[in-house]
Amino acid sequence: MEIISEANEENMIVMDDVFVEYSNGTVALKECNVCVEKGEFLFVVGRSGSGKSTFIKTLLGEVKPISGDVIVGGIKINKLRRKRLPYYRRRVGVVFQEFRLLNDRNVYENVALAQRVIGASERFMEKRIRNMLKLVGLENKINSFPGELSGGEQQRVAIARAMVNKPAILLADEPTGNLDPENSWEIMNLLNEVNKLGTTVLVVTHNNEIVDRMKKRVITLHDGKIVSDVKQGGYLQ
Amino acid sequence: MRTLSYGIKQGIKNILQNKGYSLASVGTISICIFLFSVFYALFSNFESILYNAESTVGISVFFDEGLDYMQIEKIGEEIRACSGVKDVKYISADEAWKEFSSEMYKESDDLADTFGNDNPLEDSASYEVYLDNVADQEKVSSYISGIEGVRKVNNAGAASASLSNVNILITYVSGAVIIMLLCVSVFLISSTVASGVRARKDELSIMRLVGATDFFIELPFLVEGITIGFIGAVIPVVIFSILYRTIIEFVVNHFHMISKWLTFIGIWKELEVIIPTALAVGIGIGLFGSAVSVIRNAKEVIE
Repeated sequence: MEIISEANEENMIVMDDVFVEYSNGTVALKECNVCVEKGEFLFVVGRSGSGKSTFIKTLLGEVKPISGDVIVGGIKINKLRRKRLPYYRRRVGVVFQEFRLLNDRNVYENVALAQRVIGASERFMEKRIRNMLKLVGLENKINSFPGELSGGEQQRVAIARAMVNKPAILLADEPTGNLDPENSWEIMNLLNEVNKLGTTVLVVTHNNEIVDRMKKRVITLHDGKIVSDVKQGGYLQ
Repeated sequence: MRTLSYGIKQGIKNILQNKGYSLASVGTISICIFLFSVFYALFSNFESILYNAESTVGISVFFDEGLDYMQIEKIGEEIRACSGVKDVKYISADEAWKEFSSEMYKESDDLADTFGNDNPLEDSASYEVYLDNVADQEKVSSYISGIEGVRKVNNAGAASASLSNVNILITYVSGAVIIMLLCVSVFLISSTVASGVRARKDELSIMRLVGATDFFIELPFLVEGITIGFIGAVIPVVIFSILYRTIIEFVVNHFHMISKWLTFIGIWKELEVIIPTALAVGIGIGLFGSAVSVIRNAKEVIE
């Protein structure tokens, strides 16, 4: 894996003049410069089509910038060979709005999927999964299937799956988009707990109430460009 | 090791979840390999019959009346010089009569005795000519007919040639049918695997996001193809073995005349070729079909 010389070891994410354009000619990100420190919690906000999802996809290595560098945990991912991408993704947890759980598998098996992918042993896996489900408050639902859980519980399972491999960074794309306010707060509190344990958390959201109340760093995107980056900010209308 | 064990478990799970397609694939491969086995058995038995014909049936060459020993010897040398001739054996008139009378009058020696010291086949001294290849009979016979002093040439050309033609026909027909079925098998296996890929689309895309390598994602589908190919190879070999034994036993027990002329190849000798070929073909097309499908479908579904 390509590790760059780390001028500042405190940086978890560095985006240096990133420009992303899709094959249909849509410019999704431009002049994008971001530096996120290790252990930071930040929101990325903006209207639909502002480039928020591309921002996450770029960090996941799903989309490659046309120019500029994207460095995550010291790895220049825009230069990463396709073959090495899976090993990079093991260091990044990801949570989606629509949970993306497997409905034919129980809670344990859904979380175990991330562990099986890295070739963990069954014994080690069971211990880690139980601990993770305890952290997200679902230790009693280990044998339940997604269809038997509330939206909030399903999102917790998704967070447990994202965190089970102990990633250095957790990316959440609209994690409260399908949840009622009560469950949304529970999820945000859980992400806050995860952040307190040392994981860098980046949340893409539309939910201005959450952004305003949590008083975290807020990056606002408009037409693919960062128009504001505030340390303890709120949602720009 | 854990990846392999996961791949095997998931591959077998895929087969069970996709029973209809899997059965169709196994069925086609089985038919293909069964036909190969049958054609191979026919081919090898014909080969064996031809081989026997080549080594036992020769060309008989008779001479003009009144030739002396030197002239006969000269004809022999000319025959030996012909390409494709393996061996030339002289049969004197006495030997010819002795063989004929022992076959003809074996159950009534009195009849043979009526001839006394006379030899009715006095002018029937001959050469028995054996060939390297039975297919050359006509060519060699016509060459020998042109030698001076040769009165008559008898050969089993028609029978041998038709055996040889049957064998060629079997090879072409079986080859065409097998190639066609192989293509159908590859198509069916790819469809089976493609439907598995589509059914597991969500799972694959999640696996990709949590860091699964291409090998980890593709392995279960390759295992699925290999397993289908393996099962498709084992079933026809078992059925063929049972049928072959039964048919040979039936022919030997019920058709004494045929079995006296034909020597069938033993089942184990046939299986020495059929088992490795069936496994190689079954596993090979299973692997090829699934690889083609994974390359075509998995990447576009999960990316």
